[in-house]
Amino acid sequence: MASPGLDRELKKGSAELLILSLVEDRPRHGYDIGQLIELRSRGALRFNVASLYPLLYRLEKRGWIRGRWVEKAGQRRRRYYRLTPAGKKVLASQRDGWLEFVEAIGRITGIQYA
Amino acid sequence: MPDWKAEVKARLAGLSLSPARELEIIEELSQHLQDRYEHELTRGATEEEAQRESLEELNAPELLGRELKQVERRVPQNPVVMGTDSATSIMRDIAQDLRYGLRMLWKNPGFTIVAVLALALGIGANTAIFSVVNTVLLQPLPYKNPGQLVMLWENATHLGFPKDTPSPANFLDWRAQNTVFTGMAAMAQKNFNLTGVGEPERLDGRLVSANMFDVLGVQPRLGRGFLPQEDTPGTHVVILSHGLWQRRFGSDPRIIGQAVNLNGESYSVVGVMPPGINVPSRDKWKDQLWVPIAFSSEEAQSRGNHYLEVIARMKPGITLKQAQAEMETIAARLAQQYPNTNLRIGTVVSPLHEEVVGDIRPALLVLLGAVGFVLLIACANVANLLLARAAVRQKEIALRLALGASRSRLTRQFLTESVLLATLGAAVGLIFAVAGLRILKTFIPDTISQADSIGIDARVLVFTALVALITGLIFGLAPAAQASNFNLNETLNEGGRGAAEGSKGARLRGLLVIAEVAVSFVLLIGAGLLINSFIHLRNLDPGFRADHLLTAKIDLSEVKYPDQEHRNPFLDEVLRRVRALPGVQSAAIAGNLPLTYNGDSMYIAIEGIPDPPTDQRMDAIYRAIGPGYFSTMGIPLVRGRDFTDQDTTETSYTVVVSEKLAQHFWPGQDPIGKRLKPGDTTSDMPWREVIGVVKDVRQNDFLAAPKMQMYMSYRQLKSLAPNALVVRTGVEPVSLATALRNAVWAVDKDQPVSNIDTMEHIVAAAVARQRFSTMLLGVFATLALMLAAVGIYGVMSYSVAQRTREIGIRMALGARRGDVLKMTVKQSLKLVVVGVAIGLVAAFVLTRVMASLLFGVSATDPLTFVSIPLVLMSVAMLASYIPALRATNVDPMIALRAQ
Repeated sequence: MASPGLDRELKKGSAELLILSLVEDRPRHGYDIGQLIELRSRGALRFNVASLYPLLYRLEKRGWIRGRWVEKAGQRRRRYYRLTPAGKKVLASQRDGWLEFVEAIGRITGIQYA
Repeated sequence: MPDWKAEVKARLAGLSLSPARELEIIEELSQHLQDRYEHELTRGATEEEAQRESLEELNAPELLGRELKQVERRVPQNPVVMGTDSATSIMRDIAQDLRYGLRMLWKNPGFTIVAVLALALGIGANTAIFSVVNTVLLQPLPYKNPGQLVMLWENATHLGFPKDTPSPANFLDWRAQNTVFTGMAAMAQKNFNLTGVGEPERLDGRLVSANMFDVLGVQPRLGRGFLPQEDTPGTHVVILSHGLWQRRFGSDPRIIGQAVNLNGESYSVVGVMPPGINVPSRDKWKDQLWVPIAFSSEEAQSRGNHYLEVIARMKPGITLKQAQAEMETIAARLAQQYPNTNLRIGTVVSPLHEEVVGDIRPALLVLLGAVGFVLLIACANVANLLLARAAVRQKEIALRLALGASRSRLTRQFLTESVLLATLGAAVGLIFAVAGLRILKTFIPDTISQADSIGIDARVLVFTALVALITGLIFGLAPAAQASNFNLNETLNEGGRGAAEGSKGARLRGLLVIAEVAVSFVLLIGAGLLINSFIHLRNLDPGFRADHLLTAKIDLSEVKYPDQEHRNPFLDEVLRRVRALPGVQSAAIAGNLPLTYNGDSMYIAIEGIPDPPTDQRMDAIYRAIGPGYFSTMGIPLVRGRDFTDQDTTETSYTVVVSEKLAQHFWPGQDPIGKRLKPGDTTSDMPWREVIGVVKDVRQNDFLAAPKMQMYMSYRQLKSLAPNALVVRTGVEPVSLATALRNAVWAVDKDQPVSNIDTMEHIVAAAVARQRFSTMLLGVFATLALMLAAVGIYGVMSYSVAQRTREIGIRMALGARRGDVLKMTVKQSLKLVVVGVAIGLVAAFVLTRVMASLLFGVSATDPLTFVSIPLVLMSVAMLASYIPALRATNVDPMIALRAQ
């Protein structure tokens, strides 16, 4: 595991990208997003309530995602978040930025990806 | 289960969030924690461990607060200002409530649209009908102090005429002997042929006493009224109506003093009336001109000829009772003095307003009641919608109560929202009403006076606003009452369901459905009865064949055609030409066609039978016709023969009678050969021999049973002139109209030909009023049924959605879909049956109000009372079947997982 400091830095910078990309293909609610992150990163990355939701609300305030209460038949109502058109643009640019960043680091440090 | 909400709430304490926002955050985060908790449980942790794990998420104690602080907006605290005026704070509260209400409506567009539409329909219909009521019933008459005006009738109830038209001698005596009226005036219909100004035209006019306009209190716009000395025979003066002056005389201000040619004689124009002025007659003709009645000395002494209408103005301070009493005294005196004519004849004094609107009032009131009911149903629907939505707002209510809002404030806010919704509904409803009125006016029969001036005026707008306010309060009460009966603890602790889904909420909604069903039931019964009645009406046999019959009025001027020598050649030539037209099967001369004229009846004397006492004499309707009339009209000749051209004043006088007359005077005998004459046995009219018997015809009143009738040939009548032409055509009757007119003008180019109409149309016009009421009530009943169906559907949908879990369990446990369907439909059927039962009782009571509008159908007609419940129940069952069907389609697994 990387050092806690690096961990936090990386998380901060890439957190938005993570969330935006997770709601790209379909709307999801908070717990779902948290679970997915944990699952797909195989436990490397974990969000807890205190860090996930403020982030969601911040993204929502910026208009990159939009949350709506949905009540499906027979369930409690949940807040689902989806990507907005503005958010789509931000996601695309952040993805490009991230790729460039990784390549640049790679060229400097000699780390290669298969 | 751990109390997530409290934990989250505790961590939000330091932030001053708006209550709604805080609740949202609490809910979302609590769910997350609950999911986490369950997740841990499924992974095998114990409850304690799972709880600890979940709460871990929240730990980073100030992190949540800190992070959120950066994101969430804080609500500025309103400092409590000491000593503020309570009024302004209430105003501020209301403004806030309004804004909040608007926002709520905006955020729920589906709900808002449905609710506003339902209300708009109900309120719009009410506004439209009220406009009609406003103009027709409530508008004051266009005369000075109309409350003082009365009409006087002869009371001949024992002869079948409770309000008989007075005779001239009686009128003159009434006028001379009374002390309770400032003025009394008489009027009678008269037609005038206007010639000499372009196309000849027949005008509806009226003979009036010289003081008629004084009694009514109207001033002419140009010129003057009649002078008392002009009320003598030989004076030829005329007052024109505004419409006639505009239409035929180009609004020429120099018309006063000019001469116009009426009925071949020269009349001097002395005045022009303002627009919209008419004398208030029962026939509701729009008079085109007025001429002094000018009784000749013979007419002034006629006590047996009943044809006048009399208006009088009561002196200030005199009551109706007093006037009635005095007139009865006078009538008794006259009965003593003239027992031959006035025995047992009394007088009836009737307020003018009664006369003008009396016959339309029941129908309009029924319609007003009907739209009231429609509005009630719409209110019930909206109340249901609001109740359903209230469930969603439980938490909001809970928090606000917890924060110290008073229940009254909460109630007030709910009421504000409801009134806001109602106002929106009223605004849209006004648009519906304006459009609806435009359509309505094309259907209003023109026997309803003032039909043109029906519109939305200030009073109607006030009415609409009031209705909106009351409506909002009515349907807002339900959810508002719910809010104030709220149990705080229950809601905050429980998983989120509150009173809305509890038994109380369900019962309230059930009651609303019952109310809707009951009200629509009553409306449907009313409509059903009217429809039934109207069908009876249309199926009435008028006594003749109305199809393919073209009619026209030809009023012969008495100056140009004063007697038979002048009339007969003209009529013969016209008939010859008309019969020669292609498409004509037969034609005949007639006088006063059926259903166009309400008069000309007289008692008759039978040869060999002494005259009965005057109060037992039966009247017969008499008509002057020509040969071929019966066959052209399709009136079957039952015995004997028709008139021929050979029956003239040189041969013996003849008469054809109706079956009813024959059966009345010669029961069981052959009436052919018997003799009768108009008047009594001592009159100098010639005895007439009965040569034929025809079937009864509905002559005067389509609805009443036919009265006794007799027909005389115009060729054997010295003074009674025919005035109509009937033509049986092989083609569309209207297509021959121009040809008919030309045929007449070919013989006399100055002869007006008027009222060209098909008999079918005349018959239809006789029932126009009933058709109109029936149609309107039918529309409202359908509207009510649709609204009620929507209401039932909504309630059933909601209650079924609530029971999805239960349904899912049942089906997972093996219940068949059919059983589940039966169960849910039975549930709603219970409500509907109760509603129908209540409606049945209400209908029995209320339809008595309608009894005067029905024809041939009793107010408790069994057919209607059986078929309507069936219709209603099938619609209701359908409305509950569909949501039930949807519920059974839910995957049981999903249903089970529901919380």
